[in-house]
Amino acid sequence: MKNRIQLSLFLLPGLLLYVALFVFPTLTGLFYSFTDWDGVSPSYAFVGLDNYKDSLSSIVFRKAFGNNVEFMLTVVIAQTFISLVLALLLVRNTKTRIVLRALYFLPAILSSVSVGLIWAFMYDPSIGLINYGLNEAGMSSMARNWIGDPKIAIYSIAAVQVWAHAGQMMIVFIAGLQGIPAELYEAARMDGGSKWQVFRTVTWPLLAPSATIVVAYTTIQSFKAFDLIFTMTDGGPNYATEILTTYIYHTAFGSYSFGLASAGSMIFLVLLALLTLLQFKALRADRVSY
Amino acid sequence: MKKNKKLILPLVSMLVMSILLSACGGGDNASSGDNGSSGSGKVTISFMHWRGEDVEALNKSIDAFEKENPNIHVEMQTLPSDQYQSTVQSKISDGSVGDVFASFPGAQFEAFTKAGLFTDLSGSSFLSAYNPKLIEAGQHDGKQYAIPYQLVYNDPIYNVKLFEKYGLTPPTDWEGFLALCQKLKDNGIIPIAFAGADIGPGQFMNTMVMNNAPSDDIFTKVEAGEAKLTDEFWVKTLTQIKELNDKGYFQQDALGTKDPAAGALFIQEKAAMLASGSYQLAQNKQQNPNLEQKLLAPITVSADQAKYEGVHTTTFMLAVNSKSKHPEEAKKFIEFLSNPEVASEYANQTGQNVTVNDVKYDTPELQVAGEWASKKTVFQPRFTILNGDNQKAVTNSIQAVLSGTSPEEAAQQAQAIIDQHIGK
Repeated sequence: MKNRIQLSLFLLPGLLLYVALFVFPTLTGLFYSFTDWDGVSPSYAFVGLDNYKDSLSSIVFRKAFGNNVEFMLTVVIAQTFISLVLALLLVRNTKTRIVLRALYFLPAILSSVSVGLIWAFMYDPSIGLINYGLNEAGMSSMARNWIGDPKIAIYSIAAVQVWAHAGQMMIVFIAGLQGIPAELYEAARMDGGSKWQVFRTVTWPLLAPSATIVVAYTTIQSFKAFDLIFTMTDGGPNYATEILTTYIYHTAFGSYSFGLASAGSMIFLVLLALLTLLQFKALRADRVSY
Repeated sequence: MKKNKKLILPLVSMLVMSILLSACGGGDNASSGDNGSSGSGKVTISFMHWRGEDVEALNKSIDAFEKENPNIHVEMQTLPSDQYQSTVQSKISDGSVGDVFASFPGAQFEAFTKAGLFTDLSGSSFLSAYNPKLIEAGQHDGKQYAIPYQLVYNDPIYNVKLFEKYGLTPPTDWEGFLALCQKLKDNGIIPIAFAGADIGPGQFMNTMVMNNAPSDDIFTKVEAGEAKLTDEFWVKTLTQIKELNDKGYFQQDALGTKDPAAGALFIQEKAAMLASGSYQLAQNKQQNPNLEQKLLAPITVSADQAKYEGVHTTTFMLAVNSKSKHPEEAKKFIEFLSNPEVASEYANQTGQNVTVNDVKYDTPELQVAGEWASKKTVFQPRFTILNGDNQKAVTNSIQAVLSGTSPEEAAQQAQAIIDQHIGK
């Protein structure tokens, strides 16, 4: 009994923070999502489910949702693949591995606002480093209007998101790789397995827990992206990079439609929760133990 | 003993909660004391705004004000403009801070008016210090709720020396404007540096639309459902912007260019015009002291059809918080800032034109904008769109045509978004 009270006391600060910073704002948001509150006036009226209907039928909301899915899928696929490749290359006991690991991890410690501002500058079609570099290297045909062309803008930002976080996910994969017993590799090799067979039958199944973490984390992180898009394009050009979080921000603070933005946030929260749930269910089924 | 244990949890919860809440409430108000009268009879008023770059100039004005009014202490608080847009209402709504606060024109002014955050300043003697036409943006239902302090001309800036070099003068009609752009292009100069990725569409649309819809309430009608973006005025505006882009009068890939990059093209004299506004004159000059700059508005119609010569915006709207405990002291502070000498000092130090009459501008850049006071200008059309989503739909239709969508289709797409808002 005494132990339980002590344990509760230790949990209490965290629990209080969780209630104050997550549960309370979420419930407040839920309440306002049924009102027409503009975020400023002392008064508001209850509008039932109108905000939810308006959000779901909004052209911009639907476009933002589509962009969200496109952005998330691009980031999840690219980031998982690149971080896995980096981990496989850098798990070996080479002299340069520590320096290289640090280099790849470095972007993760930078503020995403700074990253967004710097990359927006690098992507500039006339004075940016990327097109300049391509032109100087004789690859002018590859120069693009990176964040100004609605067809590729979202992928250009996804590339920055991957650059910023692949190193972080690489560390998760390296931890997973280091946990695989060496005997299993020896046995597989003695059985005459090729590199690909060893990877497919030993490495990948035993990396499933790490992959679960990487995919789940990347999914959530890319689905709720905001800073990079806000600083690089603010949803433009012509809604090409508008995602749900920027839509919610613009609705609340650009249009003073706090009730509508709250309904958008609630829909976003449900989508995110469903996505996380599906992720864990799907990836847990793949786990293998030897 | 058991009872005591049961009490521990709620007690600790209350303690932690109270620490958390007090930490949340502290914030930037922590140093402001009680924001009221102290024992010595001195009153502290809080002045809240977003112009961090003006702090030094305003501190001088505050020092002078406090000397003149030893019983009033002004405490200035600034927030970055995007944060100001999103959080100021929660800070000023109980009157504990922001006895004097600034508001943006348009959507924010409307929301604050609806919420009753403004004190009615109608009839105040200091209003006579202002150009009456230029403080209309702070009026609602015939009452003066806020006083726009800064004056901006949202007309493109041009490089005078480059124009002289090629024998060019600001044209008076659309054909003349196209010919001017072509001449510049033929000589290897970018005619217009256009920040298509951020501020460009929002700035350039104003002068482009002002004569295509020669009325100061066309977008009010659009938001009321009485006019549509698919009407001739907007389709024509989009068509003309597309024409400028197709003919290569903007720099290449203008849609990916942000404000600093477009500014750099003008400052480095690679571009002859910069589609921004008078607010950028001082900054340009600072970065290239050889620049000689003036303002020019493209006239999109024939000379005899042109009603307006340019566009102005009045912003940094000073107001007295309706919940202020010291409204008289707050008004006194605004009255002080309305003094032409104080306003002159503010203008010359910050490089911003002001709405106060009889102000003496020291620099050529301020004088350039000052010359526009006698011209026929219309209040920035974009700011007459009061809903932020609608504003975005309008400026995004410009981005759409620059990325290849036809003007008719871009106008239709934007109108569809506005129709949804009107339907709500």
